[in-house]
Amino acid sequence: MRLFSIVLLCVGAVGQEPAARKPDRVISIVAERFTFSPSKIEVKQGELIEFVLTSDDTDHGFRIPGIGIDVAIPQSGKGEARVRFVAKEKGSYAFECSRPCGAGHNLMRGRIIVK
Amino acid sequence: MVNMICRCLLTVLLILPPAYAQNVIDLERRVSELEAKMRLVDPAFGRDSRASDLVARLEMLEKKLGEVLAAKKTEAQPSPAEATAASQPAQPPGQGLVPVSVSGDYQTSTGGETRLPVAGYMDFHLNKDSGDPFRPDFHRFVLLFGHSFSDRIKFWSELEVEHALVEGGEETGEVALEQAYLDFLIKPAFNIRAGMMLVPFGIVNERHEPPSFNGVERPFVETVIIPTTWRELGFGFTGDLGKGFRYRAYLTSSLDASRFNAEAGITEGRTAGFDSSFRNPAKMVRLEYAGMRRLTLGTSLYSGHAGFNTPGVNPRVTMAGFDGRYNYRRFDVRGLFANTWVSQAGELNRRLEQQFGVNPNVARQMRGYYLEPGVHVLPRRTRNDVILFTRYEKYNTQHRMPLGYLPLPQFNRSSWITGVTYKPNGDVAIKFDYVWNRNASQVVGAINGINLGIGWWF
Repeated sequence: MRLFSIVLLCVGAVGQEPAARKPDRVISIVAERFTFSPSKIEVKQGELIEFVLTSDDTDHGFRIPGIGIDVAIPQSGKGEARVRFVAKEKGSYAFECSRPCGAGHNLMRGRIIVK
Repeated sequence: MVNMICRCLLTVLLILPPAYAQNVIDLERRVSELEAKMRLVDPAFGRDSRASDLVARLEMLEKKLGEVLAAKKTEAQPSPAEATAASQPAQPPGQGLVPVSVSGDYQTSTGGETRLPVAGYMDFHLNKDSGDPFRPDFHRFVLLFGHSFSDRIKFWSELEVEHALVEGGEETGEVALEQAYLDFLIKPAFNIRAGMMLVPFGIVNERHEPPSFNGVERPFVETVIIPTTWRELGFGFTGDLGKGFRYRAYLTSSLDASRFNAEAGITEGRTAGFDSSFRNPAKMVRLEYAGMRRLTLGTSLYSGHAGFNTPGVNPRVTMAGFDGRYNYRRFDVRGLFANTWVSQAGELNRRLEQQFGVNPNVARQMRGYYLEPGVHVLPRRTRNDVILFTRYEKYNTQHRMPLGYLPLPQFNRSSWITGVTYKPNGDVAIKFDYVWNRNASQVVGAINGINLGIGWWF
């Protein structure tokens, strides 16, 4: 019987998703040639932040240099990308478009201000 | 191999209850086989274990299976489900942002698509003026290349072939370097740009990818009054001032007044980086506001002397423009106003008449504006997009004349353009429009036209 219980536990463990903590703040960011709206985002130190990234035109990218976040934002009408992170230390952190989108691509950037 | 082991283990786990009632020896043999397969994935598995009973061995397999599945999920990121923090690359110590997860449609939307190391756009047109046959024209074939030397130094370029064919000495097409500049990113509010740059004036000059505007051809005002695609050599400063305000301020090579004329205004005076002059660099600045969702407002100012090819006359060209774009639900609207002043226009006309034998009849003021409402007729949830639009344009390259010169009324023009843009994909636009052209002349008639086009961005 004990073995049967373990087997049930094993089967249950295989289908289980990791529990997701509810973010402290969910912030929507819209990408459009050649801007993120909003482009300046203020958060509090220690918060778990979730960015919901959508595009109003073509595919864009969302990259935070140095911390390994670099995701594609699907073009308008094709969904969203969600990025979660913890604002661990105070400071100003840049994010940028990582998919070439036209003449203003290099300056399609924004800032996360952790206070 | 991982998949196979997972499948096998799952199968065994599922059938274990009935198997428990069966031969225990057979069960032990199958668990041993699974352990052997697991050792193919991790040779160290079970090496230090002395567990003899089936329960302990199953618990070890369970634990290892969990590790393998977690590692596999991290590597492949196959679903839009959340990836754990373990999926992120190793973090440098002391960093201020700690990634937790990435999820959403970002994988499913791009899965299976081909991503090239360059970007670009193409534009194929079929134009027909009334009374003429259709003329096919592969108008633009443009490739864009970018490179990041670092997070603070970035390169961007755009190389264009127009009208498909370029032959020496014949006006069949052109190969043009539209952009090639370096951005030095210093602070959000202050960055430096240098090279061949697009002049930030109007809507289309900087965002001219075919799916980003309605109509097969670019607006007349942004062709005749604002000489799109307008690019000059120079350097300048750009930045984000916060609260939605951005600016660009450049010093650029100047226009060449010797090529101004009555019909195209200052358009032919673009030097496009060839044989240009930096003796009196032009100054230009654009301020944009994009702080409210779906609204973009911009104003541009340009001023520069243009007389480096007209000895004795050095006219100053000043341009001011206002533009805006807004969309609300399924409705779009965009509009633009631009005015150009040319100082010493009378002296310039006399000088050019002496040089070339023909009076170009350059005006001292040129003006144009347009308004374009559009509606997306399909609901937002549909995969395709169909936009019906109408654009009214008024553009007069003879708006105010210098003393002693009369305006040529055929260049006081207006146009109605109405049509449809069909987007089977957000980056592909199939366009149709009809153009009613009018002018103020009693003698020279305006020609209407039909345009078909397909343009795409990648």
